[in-house]
Amino acid sequence: MSVTSVSTYSMVHATVRALYSMMLGPDTWTALVQAKDLDAVFSILSKTAYSSHLILKDITPRRAAHQIRRRLADTYEKLIRLLPGEGSQLLLWLWRLYEVDDIKAVLRGIEAHASWEQILLLLHPKPKHALLSLETMQRMVLSGDVARAIEFTNHTPYYNALVHAVERYKTEKSLFPLEVALDLDHHRRLWESVEKFGDLDRTWALRIVGSMIDMDNLLWAIRYRIYHHLSEEEIINYTLPFGYQVRDEHIRAIASGADVAEVLKRIYPEIPVAENIEDESSAGKGLQALELTLQRRIAVQCRAAFIGDPFHIGIPLGYLMLSEYEIRDLTVLIEAKASRLPTETFGRIMIFQSTAYADTAALR
Amino acid sequence: MFRALAMSKVQLVIPEQVVIPVTEALATSGVFHPTLNRYFSPEDTPDHAGQWRDWVNAFTTLERRILDVMEALAVDEGTPPTETPHLIEPDEATLDVERLEHETLTCVRELENQKQHMAQLQRYISQLKPIASLNAGMDTVRNLQYLFAMMGTIPIANLERLRSSLEHVPFKLVTLRRDEYLATVVLFGTKRDAEILTRAARSAYLNPLNLPEMYRGTPAEAIEALQTGIERTQERVDGLQADIDRLHEERIGHLRSLLWRVRASRTLSQTIAHYGRLRYTYLVEGWTPVARIPLLQENIKRVSNEVLVEVAPPQSRQEAGTPVALEQVSPLRAFQSLVTTYSQPLYGELDPTPLMAITFPLIFGIMFGDVGHGLLLLLLGILLASRAIKKLRGMASFGAIVIACGVTSMIFGFLYGSVFGNENLLTALWVHPLEEIMNILIATIGIGTILLSVGMVINIANAALLRRWGHLLFGHNGLANLIFYWALLGLAWNILPEMLGLEESFRLPESLVGVLPVIAVIAALMVALSEILENLLEGHRPLVKDSLGTYLVQLPVEIFEMLISLFSNTLSYVRMGAFAVAHGTLSLVIFIIADMAGAGTVGYWVVVVLGNLFVVGFEGMIVGIQTLRLEYYEFFSKFFAGGGASYHPLILVPRKET
Repeated sequence: MSVTSVSTYSMVHATVRALYSMMLGPDTWTALVQAKDLDAVFSILSKTAYSSHLILKDITPRRAAHQIRRRLADTYEKLIRLLPGEGSQLLLWLWRLYEVDDIKAVLRGIEAHASWEQILLLLHPKPKHALLSLETMQRMVLSGDVARAIEFTNHTPYYNALVHAVERYKTEKSLFPLEVALDLDHHRRLWESVEKFGDLDRTWALRIVGSMIDMDNLLWAIRYRIYHHLSEEEIINYTLPFGYQVRDEHIRAIASGADVAEVLKRIYPEIPVAENIEDESSAGKGLQALELTLQRRIAVQCRAAFIGDPFHIGIPLGYLMLSEYEIRDLTVLIEAKASRLPTETFGRIMIFQSTAYADTAALR
Repeated sequence: MFRALAMSKVQLVIPEQVVIPVTEALATSGVFHPTLNRYFSPEDTPDHAGQWRDWVNAFTTLERRILDVMEALAVDEGTPPTETPHLIEPDEATLDVERLEHETLTCVRELENQKQHMAQLQRYISQLKPIASLNAGMDTVRNLQYLFAMMGTIPIANLERLRSSLEHVPFKLVTLRRDEYLATVVLFGTKRDAEILTRAARSAYLNPLNLPEMYRGTPAEAIEALQTGIERTQERVDGLQADIDRLHEERIGHLRSLLWRVRASRTLSQTIAHYGRLRYTYLVEGWTPVARIPLLQENIKRVSNEVLVEVAPPQSRQEAGTPVALEQVSPLRAFQSLVTTYSQPLYGELDPTPLMAITFPLIFGIMFGDVGHGLLLLLLGILLASRAIKKLRGMASFGAIVIACGVTSMIFGFLYGSVFGNENLLTALWVHPLEEIMNILIATIGIGTILLSVGMVINIANAALLRRWGHLLFGHNGLANLIFYWALLGLAWNILPEMLGLEESFRLPESLVGVLPVIAVIAALMVALSEILENLLEGHRPLVKDSLGTYLVQLPVEIFEMLISLFSNTLSYVRMGAFAVAHGTLSLVIFIIADMAGAGTVGYWVVVVLGNLFVVGFEGMIVGIQTLRLEYYEFFSKFFAGGGASYHPLILVPRKET
């Protein structure tokens, strides 16, 4: 533990610890899952850290999810401000995952001729560091044309990738090349931010962000092969050659037609792999289960960051990822309660169910 | 000047068919402050608010579209119209906007396309330049018999991935040129592997160079043809730009008027959505200054005789939601913003703005007394108020405050004999703060006691206006407290001359000195028992909220707290003197540092100039903050309750700033 890392992370650590203590505990989760209806869920949430973001008047499930997300955006804003250079850059690029999602939502909305009001509900709350304001996104939608909408991003780092890929959009009339180009470009920059760290910071950034990149890369490769039936060369070009535990050889093996379950076992010997992962007819259930398993694995990595030396980037990163997963689970829960789904149906797709408080010692 | 405008509650019953013109009339009068609807529509009436809310959404989108057209034609919003625009129906506005978009955006998009085309031609040239010396036609390269060749651009980040994706087939990837993000490359392979190579190249985002058929021949010939193409495109771009300039001139007035009309229509729809609704009528409630009621009635009558207008008698006391309309003369308006930053006065309460306009510059001047620094502030204030610098226009309202502070700084500068920190140029008309520290500290305490006493007198006046007689006599900062304070000051005054070695003539008469302790004790008891006495006088029961025992235990603590509070409030004003001394000291330090650089040298003057700028900027800011602190926490706390609601009359377009 160096003096520099203590001075860099002492404030961040104190802030994150305070925020971490406000995350929903097992009792609250139990109460939420067992809540008899949506009103009961909101009533419980109004006694938690989300209360300051929830406006119960005229609330709908979608509005509630959006309001809850505001808390995450605010936390990003706070931590980006507190962290110095490299740390704040990494967090910025991590947050931009949401902005990339928003661009995709806008482009899909334009393709589907959706109104701005419809698209607005799908967008993430905009913190101060957002590169594309809601007004710019509205103008993108109102332009009514994907190529013209992309021109509104010309002051952002997304522009080069989008404007180059738009040629393919024009000939193929599909958003697929645009979305893939955006994802690849974003993940490369995220990886570059991770690589700028040294020592303990690098270890934790790799464990958390690297694991997240691993998950995306794996899921892309599997999806492209099984559902999009792409060739080996295409899968390689549409995936990334770097990661934490997933190596280029693993991606190449999947691309060349190797047994996916075998490859997964080589990477993660400890996790169970669904047998139907390559079964296209199971409507992606195997892939969904794999994604959930990997997310739970990342959640465990994030919790492990809070044990031992506290002065490293893993603390803010771990909290932000856990916070994201908590919000995802809450969104699932709210939608499920609104649709009156039984607990066993939605409980299966919640990240924090069963592993949220697992022993993290094995992963350290 | 000292009180907000008297308000009357106005209730309107508006027939459905005239709701739009009547709302426009309310907005035109600019005096009606609508309150939230307290009426609930009967269940069987249609959801009128929903329809108006839909209109609000439609107008918001239309506004964005108009702004886009305006941006495309480089038209700014202009100033708001002097006359309130009438509502335009969303369908009518949509048609108008679509027509404008059609004639404008067609032209603008064609221009964008031409510019993009030109950029594309330039990219072709830059891609062809590395092979300009190749003595073979482009068609030959395209249609090789045994070889696959694809020339194009690829993101540099994808180059290695493309190479590694082709490890199973023979290929050669030649990089011709590298720019910041893209590389120009040629991918060679066998014709047999063409499909694999094409799929790999496409998935690596290698955009092939698809030269249009018209650019044939060798690369050099193609480059020449492309340059001709660029010239032709430039001519087209110039023509389109001229069309857009013409459209700018023709449509500027219409676009601005449509924009303001749509904005006004949105505000109008928003307002009506909040009205109460019966089956055939709308119920509206709000506030209007009493003096403007005839204007409001006249405006309503002009559009309809069917509106029932009920005006309540002028409001005499604060009621929840009564808005407070402060109307100050122009130079005082800047100080009004300082008051409302603290809080909006309650309805019926005295508006402290005129007092603020006197005390704020006075306190500032005492702390920052310097003829030179004051002059700089005066000039800065004039610059701000004149709105001469575009970027500082947002701060124009502060100009008056800075001017006033500059003037008082100069006055106190003459009294202190200080010019740009130099105390040798002028003879002090009163004291040099650095030489007579004790005198200036005592003088500022004296000013503090006067200000605190004035605060308590205003509190008494406020209580009288609100007819709170108990509060007037016994309340904290009421008459009893004022007597207690002055009795204590009298006692202190009797001791001071002895302590400070002043003349006997400063002493109070013995007879008064003997009575003062008795007066102080009686007054202190009255304030301490204020809860009981106030409730007794104003007829409120029970007399004591908690038990009598608890109340009696708290009594000595109350008296002690009151004593401490008056003492600390008074001493707080010592900071005025302390800052006057600090100002002199800081200036002295600047001259000492300047002397170290060598008297009369360039370095000396650099230090003096920079030091003085530092004093004006840094110390001026701190003194400003301290002045606000004294106003808000010592002065206002004596009499200003605040917490009133702002008066926001309905208007459809913003008024021009005067």
